[in-house]
Amino acid sequence: MTPNEEVENLIARVAMGDRSAFNRLYDRTSAKLFGVCLRVLNDRAEAEEVLQDVFVTVWNKADSYRVNGYSPMTWLITITRNRAVDRRRALRLPPIPIETADLLPDSKPGPEATAVAAADARQITACLDELPRARAHLVRRAYLDGDSYADLSEATGVNLNTIRTWLRRSLLALRECLSR
Amino acid sequence: MSDQTTPPIDPEDDDDRVLAAEYTLGLLPDTERTAFEARMASDADLRAEVIAWHEQFATVILDEVDEVAPSAQVAKRLQTRLFKPEKRSFWQQIWPYGLGGVAAALALWLAVSSGLITPEEDALRADLVAELAPTPDGEGLVIRADVDTSRGAVQVIRAAGTPPEGRVFELWLIAGDAAPVSLGLLRDDTSTIIDLPQEVLALMPGAVLAVSDEPPGGSPTGAPTGAVRAAGQLTSS
Repeated sequence: MTPNEEVENLIARVAMGDRSAFNRLYDRTSAKLFGVCLRVLNDRAEAEEVLQDVFVTVWNKADSYRVNGYSPMTWLITITRNRAVDRRRALRLPPIPIETADLLPDSKPGPEATAVAAADARQITACLDELPRARAHLVRRAYLDGDSYADLSEATGVNLNTIRTWLRRSLLALRECLSR
Repeated sequence: MSDQTTPPIDPEDDDDRVLAAEYTLGLLPDTERTAFEARMASDADLRAEVIAWHEQFATVILDEVDEVAPSAQVAKRLQTRLFKPEKRSFWQQIWPYGLGGVAAALALWLAVSSGLITPEEDALRADLVAELAPTPDGEGLVIRADVDTSRGAVQVIRAAGTPPEGRVFELWLIAGDAAPVSLGLLRDDTSTIIDLPQEVLALMPGAVLAVSDEPPGGSPTGAPTGAVRAAGQLTSS
């Protein structure tokens, strides 16, 4: 059984009210999901609060998982990231500053591009590495840290419309790369 | 000749694939997000695009976000929250009403006979009565309700106990499996008389009266929102 199949199986059993499957799902996935919460919130207590809510949702909503079209880890990660980002926005946490020097549009691709052997790089990672380093950084900040356009504008001192234009261009480039 | 009023169109503008990515990242402003969700509801391609972005980005999390073990407290709190609910349901709260009834009646009788409470002269001619036994949340409450069906009113006598600071007591009628019906708020003093409409009177024999604490002005939802503090069954007197 692949890890994905294992998690899928556990979710299916949780949907039937199987508590031991729920506990195994928790043991199997909580460290990754807690990492997601911590990355967005930067605060253990807040992150644990969100993680707890996530697993309550998983227990209550596991029966709707099958019909939503997501792979099992993506479903769990999406719930977790969205909860953590909602929490971050409710708390109005200030964004971590980004150095302006890192944002020059002609920055070269980052060291990741050369470090990762092309053969085992994931497609999305390879495509992010094709973006100028600063642009890839902004995309990761939006996704991994949950920064909004306003956060990124505050973090960089760049005006919001410009930030949005940069992000949208990066996303389009990413999308074109992904469909190659 | 170019039209000076039209801003230049960037290739990423009006591109649903970009919108879907922004939606996935939670970057869309509220109005754009709502509009996008409305379109997504009827557009399977758009939904597929969003799912594809979620899958791609989730991969980044799998690869780049480190695992961190949460404290053991989280698992413990989850077990309690999901599998050992401390907060009992409304129905569970009122279930043991019969047990404390005798004690409540005795306390009320003591209160009345020792002069703590003087029943009003124009007291109702009660044909249905209920001793409202305190729930675990209502320790110290002694409440009795007398219903005069011919006059169409209930008199609630609160012999002991007060609502929590900043809360009021609300009286509910629960007939069979039906949802609780609010009969009104209890006044600050020990006795409250509430007039009852005919359709409510018809439900009363054998029904349960319950008292919950609610925000000033009563339950904002029409159903009990606070803890049930006392409950008892109406029986013929």
